[in-house]
Amino acid sequence: METQGFLFNHLLTSKTTYGEVELVALLQQRNNQAFTYLYDNYSGALYGIINQIVPDRESANDVLQEVFINIWRKIGTYDLSKGRLFTWMLNIARNASIDKIRSKAWQNDLKNQSIPEDVNNLESHLIRPNMDNLGFRKIVGRLREEQRTLIELSYFQGYTHEEIAKGLSIPLGTVKTRIRTALLQLRSMMDQQ
Amino acid sequence: MNIKEYILSGIVESYVLGLASEEERVEFEKLCLQYPDLIDARNSFEISLERQVLEEAPEAPAFAKQKFIDFIKQPETNSETNVVSIQKSIAKGSGFRWLAAASIIFVIISAGLAYKFYNEAVSLKSELQTAKESQARLDNRLRILEDQQKVINDPKISVVNLTGMPKAPAASASIYWDSTSSNVWLLVKNLPQLPDTKQYQLWALIDGKPKDLGLFDLPNGDHKIMIKMNNTQKADAFAITIENRGNKGGPNLDELQTMGKIKL
Repeated sequence: METQGFLFNHLLTSKTTYGEVELVALLQQRNNQAFTYLYDNYSGALYGIINQIVPDRESANDVLQEVFINIWRKIGTYDLSKGRLFTWMLNIARNASIDKIRSKAWQNDLKNQSIPEDVNNLESHLIRPNMDNLGFRKIVGRLREEQRTLIELSYFQGYTHEEIAKGLSIPLGTVKTRIRTALLQLRSMMDQQ
Repeated sequence: MNIKEYILSGIVESYVLGLASEEERVEFEKLCLQYPDLIDARNSFEISLERQVLEEAPEAPAFAKQKFIDFIKQPETNSETNVVSIQKSIAKGSGFRWLAAASIIFVIISAGLAYKFYNEAVSLKSELQTAKESQARLDNRLRILEDQQKVINDPKISVVNLTGMPKAPAASASIYWDSTSSNVWLLVKNLPQLPDTKQYQLWALIDGKPKDLGLFDLPNGDHKIMIKMNNTQKADAFAITIENRGNKGGPNLDELQTMGKIKL
């Protein structure tokens, strides 16, 4: 308990550069204060990415809730050597959001709004007003159209490379190469900022 | 493998953003163990991405935080298995849905039982091990006490009580000596613990000269266990001194603890 208190104080006093290792250790001990800290510092960013995938405000709130509960449940499986904590949380948020928009209930809602759900109409999924000005999507929006479409479908809609190849009638190898090129382009734009 | 080319292929970004296939992911993680440059590249993209996403992040709704705090404060509700994710893996066709549901339930129950039995087996194995160790300790102790009993009851044995000397008035020990077989046993009744550098030494005094009967440490724990010492055929008296560990010289009589004369 002594060390825990020490670690936590250390964490609180170094707000700008906290030790990720210490934070993870506290989280894995299911320390409530550490989870509160996590929420305060990262809920906004995760909510942002959820909103970029799940446009409906109410569903996005549900997903955010689910994401933090999943982080709480799965923190024991987080492996520091495989990447940063934020990346891990971001992927949980993205996966939960995609599960949401792929869920039966969500698809039924879409039908009511008469938007087709089959992969062959991928292009119609791209109508997403008012979402292009946020964080990660903002920079994706600066890609040229062909690349933007591929990132939109793979990252924000969660389609597999195979599904995209079929939907857009492009060979699988080409889809893969183009997505990789688009990602490299994204990165260089991010680094230039 | 040319790791520079691999790093610049877009795999790093693809991996971090969760777009890599299972196969690519496994390969990437394996290569990370081998090439620190790859880890650096991953880390640097992760930091860029983090900065990008955190920038202009919206405010999460306040009520959601309260809900989460309430959740983590009730640990008993948290341990339930998350069943939600299973729903989406149920076959989309309605014909086999019941079969899919039944097999999933079967798998969950089997997995649950297997896990439970595995845990029980592990726990039983460890309990058995503990019991065996405890049994061995008790057997050993019983054997020692039986041997001790034999010595005490042996009519050929004479008992010499060693009493405290001015240096250590409370010190006390007994010698069980079989003058026929020359066997000597020592029973420590009260001697203080020594620092690691020191040891006790038992001496027999024969015609005013000391004979070494062996160095000894106090037995572990407070059990009164007899220690088998070196044999001596003759002795006028027994004495215990404190010596440096592994003493090869004669007795340090300034540190004489207990002594007892043979009553003939």
